[in-house]
Amino acid sequence: MQIGITAMGAYLPALRVDRKAIAREYSWSGLGMPRGGFRALAGWDEDSLTMAVEAARGLVQTAPESLRIASTSAYYTERSQSAIALDALALPRTVRTVDFGNSRRAATTAMLDALLGTGDQIVVASEKRLTQAGSAAQLAYGDGAAAVRIGEGGGARLAGFASVTHDLVDRYASQDHPTPYAYEERFVRDVAVAELIVPAIRDACEEAGIEPGHLTHVAVAEPVGGTWAAAARQLKVAAPNHCQSVSDGAGDLGTAMPLYGLGLALAAAAVGDYVLVVGFGSGVDALVFEVTGEVEGVAGFAEVLAQGFRLTSPTRFLNLSGALSLDWGMRAEFQQKSQATVLERVGRDTIGFIGGRDSGGNVQFPKSAYPVNPALSAPEVLEDVRLADLEAKIVSITADRLNFTPDPPFDFGLVQFDNGARVLMEMVDRPEQGFAVGDRVRMRLRIKSQNRELGTRTYFWKAAPLARPTLGDA
Amino acid sequence: MASGFRDKVAIVGMGCSRFGERWDLGADGLMVEAFGEALADAGIAREQIEAAWVGNALDDINVGNSALPAAHALRLQRVPVTRVENMCATGTEALRGAAYAVASGAVDIALAIGVEKLKDTGYGGLPLKTKGVQNDLWMPYGSAPGTFAQLAGAYAARHGIDAGDLKRAMAHVSWKSHQNGVHSPKAHMRKAVEMDKILNAPMIADPLGLFDCCGVSDGAACAIVTTPDIARGLGKANPVTIKAIQLSASNGWEMQYGEWDGAHVPNTRVAAGKAYAEAGIHDPKQSIDMTEVHDCFSITELVIMEDLGLSDEGRAPADILDGRYDRDGAIPCQLDGGLKCFGHPVGASGLRMAYEVYNQLQGRAGERQRGKVDFGLTHNLGGAPFNSVAAVAILGRLN
Repeated sequence: MQIGITAMGAYLPALRVDRKAIAREYSWSGLGMPRGGFRALAGWDEDSLTMAVEAARGLVQTAPESLRIASTSAYYTERSQSAIALDALALPRTVRTVDFGNSRRAATTAMLDALLGTGDQIVVASEKRLTQAGSAAQLAYGDGAAAVRIGEGGGARLAGFASVTHDLVDRYASQDHPTPYAYEERFVRDVAVAELIVPAIRDACEEAGIEPGHLTHVAVAEPVGGTWAAAARQLKVAAPNHCQSVSDGAGDLGTAMPLYGLGLALAAAAVGDYVLVVGFGSGVDALVFEVTGEVEGVAGFAEVLAQGFRLTSPTRFLNLSGALSLDWGMRAEFQQKSQATVLERVGRDTIGFIGGRDSGGNVQFPKSAYPVNPALSAPEVLEDVRLADLEAKIVSITADRLNFTPDPPFDFGLVQFDNGARVLMEMVDRPEQGFAVGDRVRMRLRIKSQNRELGTRTYFWKAAPLARPTLGDA
Repeated sequence: MASGFRDKVAIVGMGCSRFGERWDLGADGLMVEAFGEALADAGIAREQIEAAWVGNALDDINVGNSALPAAHALRLQRVPVTRVENMCATGTEALRGAAYAVASGAVDIALAIGVEKLKDTGYGGLPLKTKGVQNDLWMPYGSAPGTFAQLAGAYAARHGIDAGDLKRAMAHVSWKSHQNGVHSPKAHMRKAVEMDKILNAPMIADPLGLFDCCGVSDGAACAIVTTPDIARGLGKANPVTIKAIQLSASNGWEMQYGEWDGAHVPNTRVAAGKAYAEAGIHDPKQSIDMTEVHDCFSITELVIMEDLGLSDEGRAPADILDGRYDRDGAIPCQLDGGLKCFGHPVGASGLRMAYEVYNQLQGRAGERQRGKVDFGLTHNLGGAPFNSVAAVAILGRLN
């Protein structure tokens, strides 16, 4: 059977920076930066790993053969992001994992490799990139993730592809310069269109047996604005670029940009349509899909894009994006440690949010030899129950303004799962009116603690409202 | 069935340092201040102490772990010294250890001393620490007000009480304690505070404002315990005796099992029930003359009044607003100003409470004296409402 795309998943952080409001703050400087739309902004406790898991979690009802994560902003340089994600998704340890990085094109490369293989594979792209205050990239970039499941059947068949490797240095980030250093836009656009994008799309379409003009929807990750418009003129393509919607509503998602655009494109396409996705960075990947049926999950991409909380505070934006170091006082000196021995014993159950069901049917977290159930009096082995995908209800809550958090207040309280489990949890994605006893919540993977001195993080689940508000126009 | 140790142990001397921001003293100096007063009160020499229990909750804040800080500070003469720690119940835990030693006949005279030196942390509130244990991987570490603030919403939901009405009752708790603290020379905070100021104070953890929270202080308190016979030999004709000390510790039921309503503290109820039985008290509303309870936060004291059986369930806000626990009320609470005015040097607080009851029982409380007191109750609550250790002690006189 033909290998194709069977399902997709999207995740964007809840906060959306109103670019106009921030750019207005910089008006005195004369610096150039985008002024329209929104920039998706990760919470302090989100990173490329947590967002990758959020994007992929809807695709893991069954275990794939491999899990591939593409990102240029993985927190760890020596600890596999996909291996941590494997435990967070509660996938078997027999699933192969691969990390792709160092290029915004990494996700399309990983997806192409998966499509050229024979197995059932998940490719995730996720990004939370550091940017410098005042740079155009700070408002142009966005944080977010998208995931695709490749397997037999599926609603989108790979009809043709082409790849060009070309070290065109449109921008770079390095160990010594972790924020992007961008070169002159017209130079980048002219060379990218002429040498990379147009040739690759022509080749991919030729392999698919279509003229470029037959493309009905495209998702082209542009190195600079106007790239697709220039290429489309040469190729005589009238199809809309769905990555533009991502730029407008969330920002340039880096490796996740072409996948997010692809999700929107497939949602808009009809059976028989041809859809193009282009990943750019150190070369270009052009993939042409023929839509043969439904792809699960693509309808959610537009929904995720349209929902969130508008953020207009420049200092909160700079604080959360890591561009401003605030003096939070001595309480902020508190650093949590993590011990490898403890992680080895209970880390997988913790990041997987695996509780245990006792012989009386009650579920608890964490597991223990003596069940918390007062009806039971002897030690027993509890049956694994994953709590990450269940809803719960708030039993008690406060907005703690004394405890240090990089984004006050610190909301936490007891949450009650319908299966009996009761867990003291942090709350995230705070609604405008705050949280209340009785609110229904869902679980989100977040950073539990970070130790900047030791350069390590731990991850756990936090409770979030079931739904987000509609964002409205910027 | 154990008979308990009602009237088997007498308190012959107590001491309490001045509480507050004691920039002038370390933990050793605080202990010396309390210990000297207790020795003089008991009329004994240091060398007559045969064993000691030292309570100190936060070992990394300038006190240090083990028996040695107390043994060094007081130059105890190679007697057994044991450090105990049970969060905010630590002071009462030290008293329990010393009292058990006397009741068992192992020693004739024992010392219980509690101390905490918190104001060297450099910031307000209790310090945090982490060791990379399993709980660090998942449990949110809210502040102390954050954990106790959880009681308020759950209480309001459980009893259908309007949040504004509950806030006013909580404010009365703090207002009353500040009124009382004016008369406590050893208290950290000795100013009366107007109700409007309490109600409009900056929010710390919803719905707890600044004045709903007790302070953090340095302090030490101690008790010298012995047998009633020896007490009489020391000239205490009708000595203060321990009627009961009971503890109860959470096993995870509140925070892991789906039954608790979040609006009461089961450990307080269990410890109080056992303490009343041990003391032979059948109707605490009638028998208890005064209480010193763990008012770390106003909502905590409110809930404690029900958990101790002094208010009916759901009635504490009304009782509080009616003045039942005021200085001139039916069962005054925090005659010395409580944690609200003394602050909360964790290891010392339980013994500081006992110090007030001890003085009240002997008519020595000066301006704070509440007429004749026959039974006084102290209560500590360590940890958080959902994961706690509760201690209840009842003191009276031998005859």
